[in-house]
Amino acid sequence: MTIHERRDLAATDAILQVEDVTKTYGAVQALRGVTLSIRRGAIHGLLGENGAGKSTLVGIISGQRTPSSGRITMDGRVLDHVDVKSMEEAGVFLVTQEPMIIDNMTAAENLMLGIWPARRGFVDWKALRADAARMLAGSGIDAGALAGRLDAVARRKLNILRAMFSGGKVIILDEPTAALTVADRKLLFDFMRRLKSEGVTFIFISHYNDEILEICDAVSVLRDGNLAGGSDDVAAMSSEQLTELVLGRGLKLFQRQRRDHAGKAPAVALRELRGQHLALPALDIAPGEIVGFTGLPGAGAKELARAIFGLYPARGRITLNGTERDLPGSPRAAFDAGIAYLSDDRRRDGAVGQMSIGQNIAMSSLPARMRMGFIDRAAEAAVVARYFGAMDVKAPGPEYAVDTLSGGNQQKVCLGRVLATDPRLLIVDEPTRGIDVGVKQDVLRIIDELSSRGVSVIIVSTDTDELVRAVDRVCVFENGAIKETLTGDNITVERLRASVQA
Amino acid sequence: MNAIAKEASGQTAGKFNRHAMLGWVLHNVVWIWLIALVAIFGTFNDFFLTVFNLQNVMVQATVLGMLGLAVALPLLVAEIDLSIPANAGFSAAVGALAYSDLGLPWFLAMLVGLAVGTLIGFFNGICITRLKMVSLIETLSMMIILQGALLALTQGKTLTNLSDGYVWIGQATIGGWPIMPVVFLAALVVIGVMLQRTVLGRSIYAVGGNPVASNSAGIRVERVKVITYTISGFLAALAGFLLASWQMAITSNQGSSYLLYAIAAPIIGGVSVFGGRGNVRGVLGGVLLLTVIQVGLAIINVPSFYVGMIGGVMIFIAVAIDAFRVRYFG
Repeated sequence: MTIHERRDLAATDAILQVEDVTKTYGAVQALRGVTLSIRRGAIHGLLGENGAGKSTLVGIISGQRTPSSGRITMDGRVLDHVDVKSMEEAGVFLVTQEPMIIDNMTAAENLMLGIWPARRGFVDWKALRADAARMLAGSGIDAGALAGRLDAVARRKLNILRAMFSGGKVIILDEPTAALTVADRKLLFDFMRRLKSEGVTFIFISHYNDEILEICDAVSVLRDGNLAGGSDDVAAMSSEQLTELVLGRGLKLFQRQRRDHAGKAPAVALRELRGQHLALPALDIAPGEIVGFTGLPGAGAKELARAIFGLYPARGRITLNGTERDLPGSPRAAFDAGIAYLSDDRRRDGAVGQMSIGQNIAMSSLPARMRMGFIDRAAEAAVVARYFGAMDVKAPGPEYAVDTLSGGNQQKVCLGRVLATDPRLLIVDEPTRGIDVGVKQDVLRIIDELSSRGVSVIIVSTDTDELVRAVDRVCVFENGAIKETLTGDNITVERLRASVQA
Repeated sequence: MNAIAKEASGQTAGKFNRHAMLGWVLHNVVWIWLIALVAIFGTFNDFFLTVFNLQNVMVQATVLGMLGLAVALPLLVAEIDLSIPANAGFSAAVGALAYSDLGLPWFLAMLVGLAVGTLIGFFNGICITRLKMVSLIETLSMMIILQGALLALTQGKTLTNLSDGYVWIGQATIGGWPIMPVVFLAALVVIGVMLQRTVLGRSIYAVGGNPVASNSAGIRVERVKVITYTISGFLAALAGFLLASWQMAITSNQGSSYLLYAIAAPIIGGVSVFGGRGNVRGVLGGVLLLTVIQVGLAIINVPSFYVGMIGGVMIFIAVAIDAFRVRYFG
């Protein structure tokens, strides 16, 4: 493994060099002297936990933040003044997680936003369309399509193209795969490889080791504001090595002791479930069993999970603890029946950001603990204290707003909220998407612990590695029905991928 | 995570004191502005700081305050109700006519008025949740309907045939102090307790903050909105009763003049038009501020042609300062 610090910086193939860059906020050092060089035409991965300094470093490289000390060299030229404009002129562009796109303009107009070809103050539409069509050729995006109608991957491609069109030589992608499906991710990667072959250099930020290993040529890992390590040859790295670099300690990846639940009386029994694009004759889940639901988007895994919780229109019967009843028609009814659901979209569907951590934790269980409509404040304080502690939320106290937390900690708050309802059946939808690997182990451990107390769990996930580590049984969905069920030693990454993609 | 927390605290540590103080000032800007205006008006005119004028301000603030509370509730669930002042006028007229034309005892007639106002609020809530009508337009049309209905009911005349019992609350005094403001204070306390201490209150903030997440968290979003509109309708009707009782008359456009002030008061007091933020203390501050501006300008002999403009500028300044606060201090 080559450590960048020891690399010869005079190497001629470097397009962008960062030398001993530090960044201090008040008394805190966010970057403590980072040195790395980005090879021309490479896809360079940047890994690190939340708060390791990735955003600060990327902010400095893209000119949004000023380094406290250090030197940045682009194309062999030392940049003495670093701001967004000068970095963009030098050819460095940042493409953020939230694509900056105007929905009611066409793809072509978005591509040329602010750089419209003009003739005497009037937009030259003919030139605009011609330029845009040339740029979009081969990307699969229709120049005349309204941007609002484009899917997630097309929107990201559009942003990358826009950066290129503006003269981008080094394009920084900040978690570009967040909220993309497996299939979309592949499309994005193919697109990146194509642009790479045309000479574009990428800096690629991700939480996922497998993405780094798949797409990147080189990788650097940040930890606590330092360069923890990295390699110019990703092929020489393993996922375990990357994780160890990220965390800086021998992190044990969580692995559930799989249990065989065959022959046990079910705690949850679903019968004759029908909805739009959904048909399930029967599914039993044993007490303490963890079942994974997976499949391509729209195959029915997510839909079924939401239907059981009353968020997706469907009819059917469910037996819980020996009581048979209709599927709950609303989340409130589901909670009352002992079913809890944790959404995959925390920002939209998980927490109320402007309310406090404590108020969010108590939100779903308050009605069960009220007295004549009044909040039982002692009971509320007890619930909040218990789950704030049990979830190990990294915040000074439960009175802080959820907005101030990192994604992983928001997820813990949401998990605490649903656990506080004492569910018999817990459904979690992509529970670890977009959170860093350390918190991910915590979340999986908490779910595992819960199952050992007899709670049945459904994990909806497209992360095959997570399924292999966390569940007893996997149901693979296709066309709204279960196509295949894997148990025991049959649950492997290879078999799962084969089954999902087949 | 730790590093992020450190980053944030480090950024502010250097200028902590100045920043914290500015934050405190901006958070309490309504009250500071209020005290400043009282001082200014007091120096311009000795009468302004008399007990009599204090009582006057309290009475004036009562109706506006009830309407402001009624407006604040839909704002908290990220909706709006423009029909509240019109509801106040219309429901009071129904109550008054139930006494004068149907011969009901005044107390029953008043209850009829309150029931009508409450039902109008409930109906607005149903339209917005079940029929998915946009609250801005739905309540705008309701406002026009109610204003028209009031004109039709009164045939353009002013209703003055009100019973002594009906007008008692607006006229009675104890030891020289009017008792009408007590109703407003009671409403403030009740709504305040409801918002802070009950599951309904917590649900109102949650729905206003993020309706989708609230639904997933098991809150019945539509029901919470309907209840909010219903309470708001009741408060509007109560405001209408107080206004009629105080003025001892119901004009053919009763309440209409309150519309903009009733909406401005809670917003000046920090109730967010985007929902989920605000409290009754802020509503009280906004109401007192607007009332002091109105009364003060009337007292210090500003020529009447300028009163509207100067009042508007004062409100503008209050809202601009609030926008600044939200931008820099959340």
